[in-house]
Amino acid sequence: MLLILLTIVFAVLRIIPGDPVAALFAGRASPEIVALTRHQLGLDQPYWQQYVNYLAQIFTGNLGTSIGESYHGKSVLTIILGKLPGTIELTIGAMIVATTVGIITGVVSGTNRDKPSDVALRLYGTIIFVIPIFWLGQILQLIFAVELGWVPAQLRFSGLPLPAHVTGLYTVDSLLEGSLDKFLVALDHLVLPSLTLGLVLSGFFTKTVRANLLRTVKADYVEAARARGIPEGRIISRYAFKNALIPVITVLGLQFAILFAGAVLTEKTFSWDGMGLLLLNSIDSADYPMVQGIIVVYALIIVGVSVVIDVINGLIDPRVRY
Amino acid sequence: MIREKRTLAGILSWIGLGILVAFIFIGITAPLLVPIDQTKALAYPILQPPSPQHWMGTDGIGRDVFARVIWGARTSLEIMAIGALLALVVGFPLGLLSGYAGGRIDRVLVLVMDSIYAFPGLLLAALIAVVIGKGIFNIGIAITVIYIPLYFRVTRNQTLSTREELYVEAARALGARPRTIMLSYIAFNVVIVIPAIFSLSAADTILTAAGLSYLGFGLEIDVPGDWGRDLSDAQRFLGAGIWWTSLFPGLMIILLTVGLSFLGEGLNDIVNPLLRKERA
Repeated sequence: MLLILLTIVFAVLRIIPGDPVAALFAGRASPEIVALTRHQLGLDQPYWQQYVNYLAQIFTGNLGTSIGESYHGKSVLTIILGKLPGTIELTIGAMIVATTVGIITGVVSGTNRDKPSDVALRLYGTIIFVIPIFWLGQILQLIFAVELGWVPAQLRFSGLPLPAHVTGLYTVDSLLEGSLDKFLVALDHLVLPSLTLGLVLSGFFTKTVRANLLRTVKADYVEAARARGIPEGRIISRYAFKNALIPVITVLGLQFAILFAGAVLTEKTFSWDGMGLLLLNSIDSADYPMVQGIIVVYALIIVGVSVVIDVINGLIDPRVRY
Repeated sequence: MIREKRTLAGILSWIGLGILVAFIFIGITAPLLVPIDQTKALAYPILQPPSPQHWMGTDGIGRDVFARVIWGARTSLEIMAIGALLALVVGFPLGLLSGYAGGRIDRVLVLVMDSIYAFPGLLLAALIAVVIGKGIFNIGIAITVIYIPLYFRVTRNQTLSTREELYVEAARALGARPRTIMLSYIAFNVVIVIPAIFSLSAADTILTAAGLSYLGFGLEIDVPGDWGRDLSDAQRFLGAGIWWTSLFPGLMIILLTVGLSFLGEGLNDIVNPLLRKERA
């Protein structure tokens, strides 16, 4: 799986008709510079040679050095690892919003089947999922940052000096430093982007939780609990709910790809300093090794996440065996 | 078929169909509705709020937002048609082949398709778009790659179950060649799942195309209507409380994608009676 993903990345960047280096420069550089860059990157070698080099690089953890303006000559991996916490902080925030909103709406919807609240929430699930993330981000910015002025609209941090670098997650770092002020600043900046990304993803959870709840409330053991006269609210919370959550974990894994794509858009909308913004800037500055490196890191994370999800599934549901 | 049920999905699919037809009408008649000149820079004073002259105001370089929004429908539908159709043309036969032939071909195709499917679609499309360049047709191609696995998967699964049907068995017993079985016996029974997938993936195509344009990998600057780019342009003026350049293009994207999703979910219910029973 990983190998295939890496091969696809390679294929897209090298074999598709069109010259990625020329495309990245977009006519801003002379043919000589383009040719020189190609040579430096080894792109004038035969494909199989490039492919071997590419895989060797990845498996030795060396993603090359940047040729862009801002990070020229620096190790691609170091730069990416520097930006990774930003994306992680955003995605964790978004996941918290998505699961909280999604599970609450899903349970309300599933327990009030076909009542107005169910219909409304099902519509919410469908509509929120097709709202463009960047548009929702802009509208939230307009309302909460520009009009109401409650939270900042841009960046990860401002006003105070950055917390000392430990994890790179500003919220965690400021708490480690014991500075509540910095934590609140970091949290303020995190609220809107997480809300934007999280709300869009929550629709999927709403639907999944609802569908699973409807299935589990019909299960025999729930029927048995009902026959024993256990109140309906307790049946839902103690019996049906937990089992309805198992597929949610799987959904969580499936959502990661969407989450990353969404994070790129969200990072642009909020000038959030993460991997997505780095990718966009690297494309703009024709930084070929950086672009390739970022895509490879995304692929690694996605494969990693899917393995972790499988393991978790096996742990919480003993019926799952691989 | 839709008429016989009065479920929520049934009603919604009619609404969805109505929205889609309205958009197609707007897209085709855009040149008659608003002159193309209004979509060009410096046509009007910049950043005018909505007024009787400019229903949706004007943007940062003096274009009429309403005119851009109308022309944007045309652009979006073109990309949608190219992207979703190409994905269908490639994904459907592959799925049919993979499902029917099984064996090694099947395993390899499934693995490749699953890998593409696992990767963030927008990023993959962006990467391809950067390499092959801007333009409506190129964006259509870039987007196609994301949706081929979707058609593949659905077609393959449907083929797998159809393959075991008695009438296919009978055809095989009569000595029909695999090609004949695939095309005359299986394909028509598999094709019924396609409309639902088509409209759901079409909805997603609109979002992805807008996303690509928003990130700056989409269309050339002189395309008369491009919702994603308009939203990207609008971003600079948000801080000044300029809401109309953001609000309206976004609403159009949502309206069209919601329409397509409603239609898709309605169609899904129709071709999938099991699901319908569960929901009803």
